[in-house]
Amino acid sequence: MKANRGLVAAVAVIACLVSWLVFAGVRDSMVYYVTVDELFSQTPDVYGEKVRVSGTVVSGSIRNEIDDSLRFTMEAGAGRLDVEYGGVVPDIFADGVEAVVEGELSSDNVFRADLLLAKCPTKYESEDSLYERKKS
Amino acid sequence: MSDIGSVSVLLSFFVTVYGLGASVAAGKTGSEALAKSAGNAVLSVSFLLLVAVCCLLYELVTLDFSIRYVALNTSTDLPVIYRVTALWAGQSGSLLLWSFILSLYASFAVARGEKRGGDPYVNAVLCAVAAFFLFLIAYIEKPFEPLGAAVGEGRGLNPILQNGYMAVHPLTLYVGYVGITVPFAFGIGALLGGDLGGRWIRNSRKYALFSWTFLSAGLLLGARWAYLELGWGGYWAWDPVENAAFMPWLTATAFLHSVMIQERKEMLKKWNLVLLIITFFLSIFGTFITRTGIVSSVHSFARSDIGPPFVVFMAFILVFSFALLAWRSGDMESRERFESAVSRESAFLFNNLLFLAAAFAVFLGTIFPILSEALTGRKILVGPPYFNAVGVPIGLVLILLMGVGPLVSWGKASPRNLRKSFLFPALVALAVLAALVAAGMRDVVAVVTFSICGFVASTVFSEYFRGIRVRSARGENPVSAFFNLVARNRRRYGGYIVHLGVVLLVIGITASSVFVTQREVVLDRGDSFSLGGYELVFRGVRRFSNDAKDGVSAELSVFRNGKSVSTMYPEKNIYKYEGNREINQETEVALRSTFRDDLYLILSEVGEGGRVSIRALLNPMVNWIWAGGLVIVFGAAVTMWPGRKRKRSSADG
Repeated sequence: MKANRGLVAAVAVIACLVSWLVFAGVRDSMVYYVTVDELFSQTPDVYGEKVRVSGTVVSGSIRNEIDDSLRFTMEAGAGRLDVEYGGVVPDIFADGVEAVVEGELSSDNVFRADLLLAKCPTKYESEDSLYERKKS
Repeated sequence: MSDIGSVSVLLSFFVTVYGLGASVAAGKTGSEALAKSAGNAVLSVSFLLLVAVCCLLYELVTLDFSIRYVALNTSTDLPVIYRVTALWAGQSGSLLLWSFILSLYASFAVARGEKRGGDPYVNAVLCAVAAFFLFLIAYIEKPFEPLGAAVGEGRGLNPILQNGYMAVHPLTLYVGYVGITVPFAFGIGALLGGDLGGRWIRNSRKYALFSWTFLSAGLLLGARWAYLELGWGGYWAWDPVENAAFMPWLTATAFLHSVMIQERKEMLKKWNLVLLIITFFLSIFGTFITRTGIVSSVHSFARSDIGPPFVVFMAFILVFSFALLAWRSGDMESRERFESAVSRESAFLFNNLLFLAAAFAVFLGTIFPILSEALTGRKILVGPPYFNAVGVPIGLVLILLMGVGPLVSWGKASPRNLRKSFLFPALVALAVLAALVAAGMRDVVAVVTFSICGFVASTVFSEYFRGIRVRSARGENPVSAFFNLVARNRRRYGGYIVHLGVVLLVIGITASSVFVTQREVVLDRGDSFSLGGYELVFRGVRRFSNDAKDGVSAELSVFRNGKSVSTMYPEKNIYKYEGNREINQETEVALRSTFRDDLYLILSEVGEGGRVSIRALLNPMVNWIWAGGLVIVFGAAVTMWPGRKRKRSSADG
């Protein structure tokens, strides 16, 4: 039984360490996920906080200067957000797609993103009206 | 053809439900006729689904746009090979394929069963799972649903799915995913039938290993696809869809190890069932998040009506399985106990706990947005930093255990045994450590990881060496001693090969994630830049077009130490056919891959006057990952290779 007790202790230590890893991991890497209008409802607290924001890219707002960063506007509900971004632009990023950015909103209300993801508005299988499932 | 297909799907659902009823009745009454009939039902379902799959393939290849699935996933400009792979590009096709693969596994289990018609309770579980998926495609996501409007052109296949790896990766992953159902069915079947001896675990072992192998290969093929096609320079992003396949892999790996304790020591019977239930649950959960897009993901697929049935099914799996386990738990007391905390058994036990902890951490991270929204009303994400912070320490201890496990003996390891077997690997690890530090490597994680890898690799070699030496002492020549050693104990020595593959993989992952260098440059014609030991000269852009796309590529000459080694052409393509698909632009990376490093070029932008902006990455040792994958698959194949049929040859002959 002595050895079994050693084993139980070892198991308990593992469980504690893993719990701590998970806790510390969540604490250090958690990011709030909001839509553009929710973001503005949280100013000024949100200035300088790392957040992830989703919204639709406003048509015609994408400015893509070659040696400058990408700038565009995204919207959700009544909110409009100007975004500045300098990394890899996903292939599917375009007018009207749903975009997700991660970064910080500075007090001049420009969002400086260090991550940009884009989703097709309706995912891989789009539901154009023509292809809409006929509900009978 | 579509009528034949939809009738086949509908029929297969009813036959499966019949098979379920007949199996349960056969189990209850012990009637052989019913058991046989249930077995025949399983066989006929796989035939019916074969017909359905062939019908859908026929419609896809002949581009019959009157069918919704065909119109959504193909177009006239799509090459035949991708019309075929469109079978698993969309929702209902994927579910049809899921069911078909499951029916093949089930038929196999029936055909190989000891009794005619197989074990009725095992069949019952297989039929129940199949019935769920067949219900989905028979009533909710019908693959042969008509479009209801006449169109001359389909929407086409997403260009990023038009890639050779994407053609094989989902199929491989599915074979792995679905295969987990079989060991689960054996386990639950044993619980239902009450035959809880070693039989079910022996029968299920090869299926578990088989699906584990495909799951591993599928994960790596997916990583390679992401690396080549998604164009962000990495191969793994802790995306929910990736995690979905990774979680069952973790618990299946735990199961493959703890099975050995049950076989050898008759311990951990309940634990193994728990692992199987969790693994199966995770494979269904993975299908659920992939197929319903509940967790937002860069590559989540269609949202659809199959969410609620999935939730009900998953809840049912958990409640039913664990209730059954609790009911039978009195019959599964272990006779033996753990003798020592330092023994082979406890090494396996720690391995199991850590794999389960890793799976739990990944699970928590994946569902964190849903969980936090439910609990606090705010959506909170945990990104790759979370997974890395939790995964790296657990992974390192697991790799260390991979080296320690084979060195400690069963029962209770004596200090002498430990000293003797640890000496050589520990020296190798120290030598690696010293060499790396002397060479100037200062990254702690990398140095520790490589040292542990040295430790594990040397335990594998010393195990082989010891075995060969024993045989040579008996007069065999070393080469034949090597082959006989592996042939006589495929499981053990095949397993060591898998371990060696994991070492290669870990070296590749560590090197490529710790020592990556990247630059972003804007270049005019004739400009050059350097990256690592490479010198790149931009020669200009070239525009081209073919039937499918208009492209622009940048030409870069690559030099190393003043010698020209390659010319690379990163591309940006615009697909001509607008169709109705959203994605017409595709960035095609240029890659020069060696075992030393990968030069990875992305053409970000083409501006006025042929000026380009390029993102260049130097990813060290990525090829080691793929090489490790090949070694893992080879090792697993050695482990599964059928032995000489000594027992059966007399019966067959």
